[in-house]
Amino acid sequence: MSDQGQDKDPVVSSSLSKQLFIWSVLLVLSLVWGLWDEMYGIRPWKGYEARFAKLYGKYLAQAKLGESANERQIKAQPEYRRLDAEMQAAEKAAMPAASAIDKEVNQDLVPKILALNDPFQEVRSHIGALTYQIEISKSPGTKDSLRKQIEELKGEVHKVKLPGEPETNMTFGDMDKRLQDMKAKKAELLQQRVDIMKHATELRTQRDKYLSDRIADASVATLAAVENSLSSFDIRIRQIHVKDIDLVDRCESCHLGTREPVVLTAANMGGEAVFATHPEPELLKIHDPEQFGCTPCHGGNGVAVSSVEKAHGYNEHWLWPLHHMENVEAGCQQCHSREIVTEMAPTLDAGRETFRLRGCMGCHRYEGFDRDADEMGSVGQQIRQLEQQKAEWLRQSGFDEQKGNNPRTTDAEAKKLFQESTDLKVRSSGLDAKIEQLDMRSHELIQEVKKVGPDLKEVRMKLRKEWIPVWLKDPHAWREGTKMPTFRLDDDEIHAIAAFIWQSGIQGTLPQQKPGDPVKGKEDFETRGCMACHSMGEGAQKQGGTFAANLSREGEKANYDYLVRWVHNPRQRTEPYCPYEKKDITEDDYKRHNLPYVFDLQHTKCPNDGHELQVQQMTPMPSLRLTEDEARDIASYLMTRKHDNATYADASYMDDPGLKNKGQALVRFYGCAGCHEIGGLEEEQRIGTELTKEGSKPIERLDFALKGHEAEAEGWYTHKGFFDHKLADPAVFDQGKEKAKQDRLKMPNFNLSKAEIDQVSTFLQGSVDATVPARYFYNPTDQRQDIIEGWWVVRKYNCMGCHKVHVGQTTTFDTLARYQDPDWKDQKPPTLIGEGARVQPGWLERFLANPSLSDTDTNRDGVRQYLKVRMPTFSFSDGEIRKLVRFFEALSSQAEPFIAEPTEPLTDQERSMARALFTSEGAPCLKCHMTGDPTHDAKATAPNFTVAHDRLKPGWTRRWILDPAAMAPGTAMPSGLFRQEGDRWVFAGPTPASFQGYTKDHADLLVRYMFQFTPEELGRLRAAGGGGMH
Amino acid sequence: MRKFWIGSGLVSALVAAAFTLASCGGGSTEAPKTADSGAAPAGGPAATPDMDNGGTITGKVTFDGTAPKMAILDTSANPVCAKAHASSPLRSEEVVVNPNGTLKNVFVWVSAGLPADKTWQVPSTPVEIDQNGCEYKPHVIALMAGQNLSIKNSDPTNHNIHPQPSVNQEFNESQAPGTPPIDKTFPRQEIMIPVKCNVHNWMRSYINVVSSPFFAVTGDDGTFSIKGLPPGTYTLEIVHEKYGKQDQQITVGAKESKTADFTVKG
Repeated sequence: MSDQGQDKDPVVSSSLSKQLFIWSVLLVLSLVWGLWDEMYGIRPWKGYEARFAKLYGKYLAQAKLGESANERQIKAQPEYRRLDAEMQAAEKAAMPAASAIDKEVNQDLVPKILALNDPFQEVRSHIGALTYQIEISKSPGTKDSLRKQIEELKGEVHKVKLPGEPETNMTFGDMDKRLQDMKAKKAELLQQRVDIMKHATELRTQRDKYLSDRIADASVATLAAVENSLSSFDIRIRQIHVKDIDLVDRCESCHLGTREPVVLTAANMGGEAVFATHPEPELLKIHDPEQFGCTPCHGGNGVAVSSVEKAHGYNEHWLWPLHHMENVEAGCQQCHSREIVTEMAPTLDAGRETFRLRGCMGCHRYEGFDRDADEMGSVGQQIRQLEQQKAEWLRQSGFDEQKGNNPRTTDAEAKKLFQESTDLKVRSSGLDAKIEQLDMRSHELIQEVKKVGPDLKEVRMKLRKEWIPVWLKDPHAWREGTKMPTFRLDDDEIHAIAAFIWQSGIQGTLPQQKPGDPVKGKEDFETRGCMACHSMGEGAQKQGGTFAANLSREGEKANYDYLVRWVHNPRQRTEPYCPYEKKDITEDDYKRHNLPYVFDLQHTKCPNDGHELQVQQMTPMPSLRLTEDEARDIASYLMTRKHDNATYADASYMDDPGLKNKGQALVRFYGCAGCHEIGGLEEEQRIGTELTKEGSKPIERLDFALKGHEAEAEGWYTHKGFFDHKLADPAVFDQGKEKAKQDRLKMPNFNLSKAEIDQVSTFLQGSVDATVPARYFYNPTDQRQDIIEGWWVVRKYNCMGCHKVHVGQTTTFDTLARYQDPDWKDQKPPTLIGEGARVQPGWLERFLANPSLSDTDTNRDGVRQYLKVRMPTFSFSDGEIRKLVRFFEALSSQAEPFIAEPTEPLTDQERSMARALFTSEGAPCLKCHMTGDPTHDAKATAPNFTVAHDRLKPGWTRRWILDPAAMAPGTAMPSGLFRQEGDRWVFAGPTPASFQGYTKDHADLLVRYMFQFTPEELGRLRAAGGGGMH
Repeated sequence: MRKFWIGSGLVSALVAAAFTLASCGGGSTEAPKTADSGAAPAGGPAATPDMDNGGTITGKVTFDGTAPKMAILDTSANPVCAKAHASSPLRSEEVVVNPNGTLKNVFVWVSAGLPADKTWQVPSTPVEIDQNGCEYKPHVIALMAGQNLSIKNSDPTNHNIHPQPSVNQEFNESQAPGTPPIDKTFPRQEIMIPVKCNVHNWMRSYINVVSSPFFAVTGDDGTFSIKGLPPGTYTLEIVHEKYGKQDQQITVGAKESKTADFTVKG
């Protein structure tokens, strides 16, 4: 060992300071980091809360300034100043009397009451104490002596000095009486004061209301209150806890503005959308967050607060990620799964409509969408069950009878058995009634089933042969926006399919039609209502509805004779179809049973086996009750609609019988019969996967194929990603795959726009096996159920193409260029908002069944004969009519069943007054309303009064004539016909002399008159020649 | 040297302790600050056209072609109306060509070029439309947004006035004979709002609502004049119910007068 080594004692010479320093720095850093992470790192919401408080405070201060400027402005308005001045004047006028009262009360009565109160209370409490002694003492002697003491007390005289009065001697009784008197006087005076000030107080309320009515946003007072509460803002987790389902949502720890009373937008919160108030406060009213939480509708992980990604559930393996903004309404679907229309969910509604209308449901089952077929199945099952039950009961009834007949049975027992047997017979007769109803329903249902696409059995009569293969190749290229999707077919497939379709068609004959007038036809097409569903024109020229086909090239494909038949009655079938025999029934079938070849809605039984036939075309297209000439005109016009240079290649191969089998196999393979009626394939099953719960299918079971990695890398390995990509390009998951043709994905391309993809994707994302408890589901059992059911019928027949059914909706007519003209605006179909309150259900039922309201004169509208557009005959089933009537009644909250509200009969004097008014120059009623005079009616713009009694409800009629614009903005019926006078309405114009001294309500009088209006009465008025009705 | 490290160690420990204390005391937030910068209401005081120093645009609208013969309106549905036109039948005013070959009822306005931030004083005098002889007088009306429209009924019969705007709010009010005028305003700029009477379907008028005071309607001589324009370059547009729109770019300086004539082809 060296000396040096010995000298250098490491304990003495070497220092650990450096290491210690480094470690201590590290320790400090980790401590700092640890603390930061504890405070903010895993609690990002703290930052949000701090920023929110800051931004909110800033915004409130600004808003207050703006509001106060606004308030100042309103206060400067002449009307406000007038109200204020009136209030001040009234207050001033009332003041002397009021101050006199104040003076008397405050300076005289109150001091006296106070002065008297003391001695009075002293005696009273003494008496009270003695009374208590009496109650608790046991000996009657003591009680008596105590009573004596009380009497003495009452007799005692007290010297009382009241302010402003000389000292007086008063007993307890005197004091009591004086005190009561003064109190009564005070109350009386105060009431007097209220009465004196009443006028001024009312004016003050009016003035303040004027101000509050004009400040749309929060008033300065509200803002100040919010600001005040913000001063005690603390940073903490804000959570909703719904106990019964153990739901914890902490979303509002960051989304702090969600339920603020002051409306916050990203713009006024420093660009931070996270702080905005919920955009639909109405929705929150229906779905109170305290009961519903946030995540049941929006998705996401309500408990997580450690990062935005986790809170929104976008981390791996979280099953219910937050819905993206464009799909936010997916959250509605899980509970509102029985609806086709959900109010306030337009994207979802559009998605459902696309799913239904574009024929997705032709291949994919979706519970609830296949309503007619499902109901048909369930009705059949119910009938079988009831028949079984009936047979059982009747058998039991027979046994009981047998036993009762047995001589060994005692009389008493036999009596009981006979009674039981009779009861069972009565009960089974009740089953007969039920079965009868179900039978009727099953007959109706075959009438209700519609197909998405046209009947292909009729192609030979209907179509130009060469057009079919062109169409099959790319329907979207031939007719942009068509419902028919583009299949990925090669030429061989197209040839085979075209050949099969052609050869499986019915060889029907059509009467040869003479040509019509295309100019008249164009006018009819544009004004009868065709365009509510059909569009015309291509590209920017396109006008009309999207419910049915664009007819700009109809002339290239259609056969004129067939088109005439179709326009005249689209439901007309060439041959009825028997679902039982699974074949079309020909004339021969009828002949064999010596029956005429007649099949329509009155003749629906199969001649071979009595089963219900499909006697109509399965199209929702209604009959417009056109004359044959009109049908020819419209068909002739449609035949002129074509591209000038269109050529079609020879397609004689379509007659090659060798192609038929291959074609049939392909038609089956691609599932064409899901949307079309095709000979021999009427009972085909769906070829696609069921989509009812597709949104919650485990993601591993969605076949991303080779796209899986790309999807994960790009962040669309989600249900949304799958749906969006598949809808945009149904073949996308075949990319890169080595597959034989028949193994490739079959789903055709629907050529959906980005918006449509979002809509359908929203619907599919919401189609989940809901995790929320059953009480969340929207399954109303009251009238709202009728609304759910009714919407399906309304959508099925596109009622909204013509009518406004709910507030805020536009119809196709609102978009047509022609109907922007002031005169044509009056030619729009009527709005149906409030229809249930307007018309009587029985009338509505008759009208829906036959809108002409006549068995003979059917080429007209039953109510508004002046309209060019016409309510068509939809041949609704009774079930559909029932649903529609109930729907409208329910929308207007009408009690069911309907009981007519009586109207008070008119006195003779009232009748002559009403007549005089109706025919006066001041009342324009009969100038616009139909009168039955053809010259007049040609220019009329409102219905005939003679239908009012059977059609309208009096309460509605009164509300209507008082303010029609409130119910139907833009209506031809003017407002301001009546003005309020006290608590009654009087006619605003000059009234006939007979109205002198009439003190009742004028609107009421006219309604009562209208409800007893008869054709004879109308004749009398016309004879009188009033109202300029010539 | 050693002392330095020890000292540094102690200091950093102290710092750490202090920091820890500070952090532990944390959790308090910055109190919300109230903003003091109040936004003044936009626009500023309303301006009036400067008649002394402003520019002027005058011009006329010439009609090129043969004046179309206007249809006779059938007023027979109401005897009162028929009586008013017993001597000469009521004709449509869709196209009215003046004797001097100019076109009447053309709405002329400065459609672009005005300073965007300027608001203009709304005249307190109302513009009048009269239902007289079962026609609207005048046939084409122009007024400022917010200006009162006084609707009169001089006829002994009932009318209803029913403008059908697309931006402003629609109304349809019955006006009985002998009742006082109805006052209405249109708050938004909107050109050629059709007006009709549902009782007398031939009655038609157009209301033009402008947010500036620079507009005119041609009368019996087919001329117009727009005064008091601030110096600048403007789009001057004319609108006719049948013949549609035309425009011209015009620059005017202070006190300058410019002419802008239009020709409408019939």
